Amino acid sequence: MKLFLVEDDTAVADYILAGLRQEGHVVDHMADGRDAMAQAVANAYDVMIVDRMLPGLDGLSLVRALRAAKVMTPVLFLTALGGVDDRIEGLQAGGDDYLVKPFAFGELSARVAALARRPAQQATETVLVAGDLRMDLIRRTVRRGDAEIDLLPREFALLEVLLRRKGRVQTRTMLLESVWDISFDPQTNVVETHVSRLRAKVDRPFGRELIRTVRGAGYKIDG
Amino acid sequence: MADGEGARPHGLLRSTPVRQAIGVVTLMAVVGAATTTVAFLRVREGLEETIRTSLDQTAAGLSTARTAADLRNLVVAEAGATDPELRIIVLVLADGRSVGNAEARLDGGMPSVAPLSAERPLSDHGYEFRVIADDRGTLILGETREGIDDISAVFIAQAAFSLVPTLLFSLLAALAIAARSARRVVQIEDVLGRLAAGDLSARVAEDPGRRDDLSRIAGRLDRMAAAQEASVAALRQISADIAHDLKTPVQRLALLLADLRDQTDEGSPGAALADRAMAEADRAVAVFQSLLQIAQIEGGTPKSRFRAVDLSAVVATFADVYGPAVEDGGHTLTVEVPPQDAVWVQGDRDLLGQVVANLLENALRHTPGGSAIRLSLRHDGASAVLSVADDGPGIPAAERPLVLRRLYRCEASRTTEGNGLGLALVAAIADLHEARLDLSDNAPGLVVSLALPLVAPPAAGADPATAAWTDAPCPLAPAPRPPSVRAD
Repeated sequence: MKLFLVEDDTAVADYILAGLRQEGHVVDHMADGRDAMAQAVANAYDVMIVDRMLPGLDGLSLVRALRAAKVMTPVLFLTALGGVDDRIEGLQAGGDDYLVKPFAFGELSARVAALARRPAQQATETVLVAGDLRMDLIRRTVRRGDAEIDLLPREFALLEVLLRRKGRVQTRTMLLESVWDISFDPQTNVVETHVSRLRAKVDRPFGRELIRTVRGAGYKIDG
Repeated sequence: MADGEGARPHGLLRSTPVRQAIGVVTLMAVVGAATTTVAFLRVREGLEETIRTSLDQTAAGLSTARTAADLRNLVVAEAGATDPELRIIVLVLADGRSVGNAEARLDGGMPSVAPLSAERPLSDHGYEFRVIADDRGTLILGETREGIDDISAVFIAQAAFSLVPTLLFSLLAALAIAARSARRVVQIEDVLGRLAAGDLSARVAEDPGRRDDLSRIAGRLDRMAAAQEASVAALRQISADIAHDLKTPVQRLALLLADLRDQTDEGSPGAALADRAMAEADRAVAVFQSLLQIAQIEGGTPKSRFRAVDLSAVVATFADVYGPAVEDGGHTLTVEVPPQDAVWVQGDRDLLGQVVANLLENALRHTPGGSAIRLSLRHDGASAVLSVADDGPGIPAAERPLVLRRLYRCEASRTTEGNGLGLALVAAIADLHEARLDLSDNAPGLVVSLALPLVAPPAAGADPATAAWTDAPCPLAPAPRPPSVRAD
């Protein structure tokens, strides 16, 4: 993917650049908001990563200006502030997602991947498949091979999110957002317990692991 | 001042200036009526005195007669020359016959009179009588009260044509003046309400030309609001600066530790150390994040974002999220929600969710395995009461107010996890929602309850907060389903 990082802290920027490039992305970087504006208008990026506190032009104003100029590149905000107001401000300015510092690189990488627009997906898709697992969204059934798996509604919802984003890592906070619509990170490992129960039904009886743990990031089902 | 702004008719009668105006005019009316009445009574008394004097004089004139015959002749002469409409002179003789200018007799001591003929009518206004009885007969003298009736009519006319219009006019003028200042009071009240609701940009902005008490109050209110707005802005700026200056190095630290972890062999002692260092960094960030969040909430999070929130949906969601974690920790979780579908309160869905999460985590953290945790929601009059109860060790009564303070930790829980901010954050969120937070004894254990005022359900087609922020990052989010229903 072609990414654009706007971040003024050199150490953080270097680390993000190294990580994203190692994952095979092409990443441009700028530290000044005003310079970044021209760069973003002139280039077609897949995703922009924008720090909210920037010299020249702050991140919120930068994204507002881009949206006004009809540049609709998905934007992930990075911020030191984590209040509810700050998040809503960011989303209202035209940001698509929001990551509070300090963050783990795995979280950043997973969210960037989630933001990238994918080739037009069948919206009317009624069956999700991964390996020998089939999820029927109409009849709300899950089968692995010939065996029917009985899932609780929340387990079904969790598996559905992982299947829909097959091949991409879903972090704990991303799962909390998409399955339960919760936007803060609880201290207790609530997501781990849900995933382990889902695994007990979907993976353990079959001996082949479908839901993989990605260390330092989250979970994914391979595509 | 904008015309009619805030001048609600029902509110007008309750406003102090209007009440005072009505009071003053009422007082004027009472004083006016009293002085008129006193004047009337004095004039009438004078007239009655005149009538009595006239009767005395008539009686004195007649008393010159020595004999019954003399008196009879005198009465006949006097009566002949006297108009009975003005004055009645009648003598009732011992044999019952009477002479005079009218028919008169005594009825149980009270004289009653009738005209002698149609040519000599009596007064319509009644008479003041004097009865003098002796061996010569009974003399009945009467003096018309016409003058008194006339003077009553004059006073009534004076009241109708002078006092009443004056009062009506003063009332209208006073009400107009009072309504004007009442509108200004209402405007000041509106600004106070908006300030209390978190809109710190609200100002009265009175015409600076005014120099009265209300404009002084308005001016001071505006200056106070400006100072408050500036200090909140400064607080936000300081929070943002501290957050930036502290989090950037922590961010670098976290990234370096992650890098170190990646370069360390899995399972080696170095990897374990790196993991622990990362966990410590996370903990420091969590404490800082909570402090920042409490400061932001206390520093005036705008309530303009408040929506009608279905608390029972919030409770169901968090019961679902925490269910397995509670069970894995060896605890049991029971959830009690009212049988009705929704329990609406006014608030911020995320913050109310944070309350439920913090209370559940608090119960999980401070109770031994096997403890029962009860998450419940019930109606109590006009309130929705959300409570989390456990049967753990509880908190001594004296310590309960202290645990709501930032970073306070019970002696007994020093060794357990937690940063002492969970309940402080709950208290800050409760304050923001004007909710009552109670910590009490569950005998054994602790019960924390939050009472929020109930509100009407949002109108159909409105955008209730259950729909969450519309621009949530994940476009695939399925609606949370009730936890107890199993899929086919």
